[in-house]
Amino acid sequence: MPFPRIACLAVPLFPLAARLRSEPDLVREAVVVVEGNGNAARVIAATRLARDAGVRPGATLPQARALCPKLVARARDEMCERAAQEALLEVAESFSPRVEDTGDGVVFLDLEGTELHFRSLRRSEEPGTSSEDDGSPGTSTADGSSDTATPAGNRESPGTANESPDTWTGWEGFGPSGTELAMGRALAAAADAAGLPARVGIAGSKLAARIAAHSPESPVVVPAGEEAAFLAPLPLGRLAPEADVATTLERWGVWSIGDFARLPKSQVASRLGAIGRELHAAARGLDARPLIAREPPSTFEEGMSLEWPLVSLEPFLFVGRSALERLCQRLESRGLACARLGLALRLEPDGHQERSISLPAPTRDVKTLLALVRLDLEARPPGAPVAGFTFVAQPDRPREAQLSLYGPAALSPDKLATTVARLFALLGPGRVGSPRPAAGHGPERFALVEYSPPPPPPVHRAPRAGRGLLAVRVLRPPIGLEVITGEPRPGGSAGRAAERTPVEVRAVARGAAAKRPKIQGAVKVAAGPWELEEEWWTEEPVGREYWDVELAGGGLYRIFRDRGSGEWYADGIYD
Amino acid sequence: MLRIQTLTLSAEPSLGPAGGLPAGSRGEPPDRTLPSGVVERLRSALPPALRARVQSARELARARAEAEREPLATAWRAFDRLLAGGLPRGRLVELHGGRSSGRFSAVLTALAAATGIGEAAALVDLGDGLDPAAAAAAGVDLARLLWLRPEGVRRALAAAEMLIGGGFPLVVVELGSPPLPGGRGAEPAWLRLARAAQAQGTALLVSSPYRVSGTAAGAVLTAGRGRAAWHGEAGGPRLLQGISCRLALAKRRGSGAEAPGVETDAAFALSASPLAPASPAPPPSPARRGRPVPRIAPERPERLLAAAV
Repeated sequence: MPFPRIACLAVPLFPLAARLRSEPDLVREAVVVVEGNGNAARVIAATRLARDAGVRPGATLPQARALCPKLVARARDEMCERAAQEALLEVAESFSPRVEDTGDGVVFLDLEGTELHFRSLRRSEEPGTSSEDDGSPGTSTADGSSDTATPAGNRESPGTANESPDTWTGWEGFGPSGTELAMGRALAAAADAAGLPARVGIAGSKLAARIAAHSPESPVVVPAGEEAAFLAPLPLGRLAPEADVATTLERWGVWSIGDFARLPKSQVASRLGAIGRELHAAARGLDARPLIAREPPSTFEEGMSLEWPLVSLEPFLFVGRSALERLCQRLESRGLACARLGLALRLEPDGHQERSISLPAPTRDVKTLLALVRLDLEARPPGAPVAGFTFVAQPDRPREAQLSLYGPAALSPDKLATTVARLFALLGPGRVGSPRPAAGHGPERFALVEYSPPPPPPVHRAPRAGRGLLAVRVLRPPIGLEVITGEPRPGGSAGRAAERTPVEVRAVARGAAAKRPKIQGAVKVAAGPWELEEEWWTEEPVGREYWDVELAGGGLYRIFRDRGSGEWYADGIYD
Repeated sequence: MLRIQTLTLSAEPSLGPAGGLPAGSRGEPPDRTLPSGVVERLRSALPPALRARVQSARELARARAEAEREPLATAWRAFDRLLAGGLPRGRLVELHGGRSSGRFSAVLTALAAATGIGEAAALVDLGDGLDPAAAAAAGVDLARLLWLRPEGVRRALAAAEMLIGGGFPLVVVELGSPPLPGGRGAEPAWLRLARAAQAQGTALLVSSPYRVSGTAAGAVLTAGRGRAAWHGEAGGPRLLQGISCRLALAKRRGSGAEAPGVETDAAFALSASPLAPASPAPPPSPARRGRPVPRIAPERPERLLAAAV
């Protein structure tokens, strides 16, 4: 590809498209997005149904309601737009590694080198088909009203309110490249799948690509090297010159971009300065600044402002579910999963709360994530009505498994992650994981780590013969005991040992009297003591005398006497 | 194997119902299903040494499915003998017994065998009685073990169902010592658990102090009262060596395993201690009263004790 090729992905009526992406149930309704408060709120974008009823951008909300009584009005939502812009960028990044974010539903991507991926589509695609889809906000521009509905603050298309697509007759003369056309269609389809009806323009410069993307037909491909000819018949206002520069050019009698491009470059630069030089280059189809690739963000966000503050959990989970679904869809498109879920809540009247939900394994299972959000909100209620929320997903690579022909089958990583997360939600933190011995000698100690089993061996192997070791069932926490010890006997150390030998034990309730195993009876055999001493350097040293006792009624226990308090406990059953 | 394949392919056209040319050579789509009896006729035409090696696709699929359903060997002879090779996949096996009956040791042995061959395993530990250091000493590969510490029987069953759905080949539900928090659990829940295990081909072992799973169990093993083995004489210093118990098959469903009522002896030795003497045998099992029961060879507990110490 000798010339740079740039594609522009533009979403018409972006504030409305972003809102409908968050609330897809409203697609078939007459919806307007307004900016401002109360009766001063002005319509900035409207769906086709609303426009058919006569609602136009700039109208106040009471005027719009008078024209369309069933009108659904939504305030402009920055959170929705930010998430939609990120989703659009992710669509572009799935096609090219170099993507520039210009905001307001417009994205540029460098197509250089990507045409090889779409060469196979060239024959199967037929140029000239429109990607219109009734009911979506983008399609509402098919009648040429997209520019008039674009918010005034949109810097991408100022001054185009009076233009009609019919004036852009120059497009008919360009033979689109089949490969690029296929790429354009694939881009539009991918954006549509992400819930954003976008239009695509492909050209050698950003300006030409952007103008091509605002055409009612999509995609539009400007052949390489013909950008200047493509731009020539367009009015000069499409270059978005500064007001004083525009006035100067009007005085010169320059009305179209082509007229301006034909002026001598050096003369323009000497009269209009650096601004004039950049405008002249743009008029000739050259970008003054190259495409500036963005760094992919480290997190994924989805959220929205709520129409009414929510006070109960179920409605919030209902709204949050769709946001989580969109979030997981975005993660899936990148081959990622959520390793940690953050939730930022905007509270009424002016509160803000952030919480983080750790996941035992990366997952994309919406049900699991929603269950964890529910548990967290139930455990720590926000304490005020929720007016808006944002889910922030910290992405991580999902675990991968290599299938084995001859060895044991590995667990499916996705399934495992989902299962572990659901168990985490069911049992709570600290109750699911892979066990590990903890530092120290106390048998009740343990550590739990994230469950991540190593891959199974490549071939089946026979199980090793069991060691036949007797296990101890640990009692957590230890059960308090009343112990009757032996009578003191004369005779040195043997007598002292007999004095401490348990002869009868009985469980007593100390602290929380939960349902615990009943331990009671005369001691048939006792062996011990074995001494355990640790952490003597701390303020709470541990000193225990352990005994193995067999009760006459059955049962083999491990009991100990705490040296500090002199109390007896059972901390294990040989079983 | 190559010779067999060649023989099968060359024999097929001549054994077809129409005879002559194969179907595909006449411009018709080849018939991929053999008429009934073709495999038998082919076998009868082969030398006896090769007959057993000729199998139809359906027989191969069946053999493969059976291979996948091979029991999960526990490497604990008492279990493997009574259950015909180990824990059957797709079945619920209940092991119940009182305190110090060796139930928990058996659980760890099963986990050690499964994780030792590279399978993932999960332990739903209602009694919260696992000591990771002891489990590692018993041979459990802790990295392959998922440990769950539920607080009630209901949650334990729900967690076990999730684990089965997650594809774990071995799930052990250890209900701990009585009293069980939450009771025995509803029988429909056990039935659902058994069906889930059957659908997923999971070996499900339930260790409980008394019968809990009702009709859902595919096999029930009863661990008798354990008898402690002590070293040393009364009045002198004593040292616990291990326990021995009697394991009986109380119920079984399906074929292959021993008949109900068969018993065997099992023994577990305490982890090696520097003070432990070398391999004294545990006391003999008490003679059973009443009706004599069929016996199979004991497990040679002295060998286990010797290996342990």
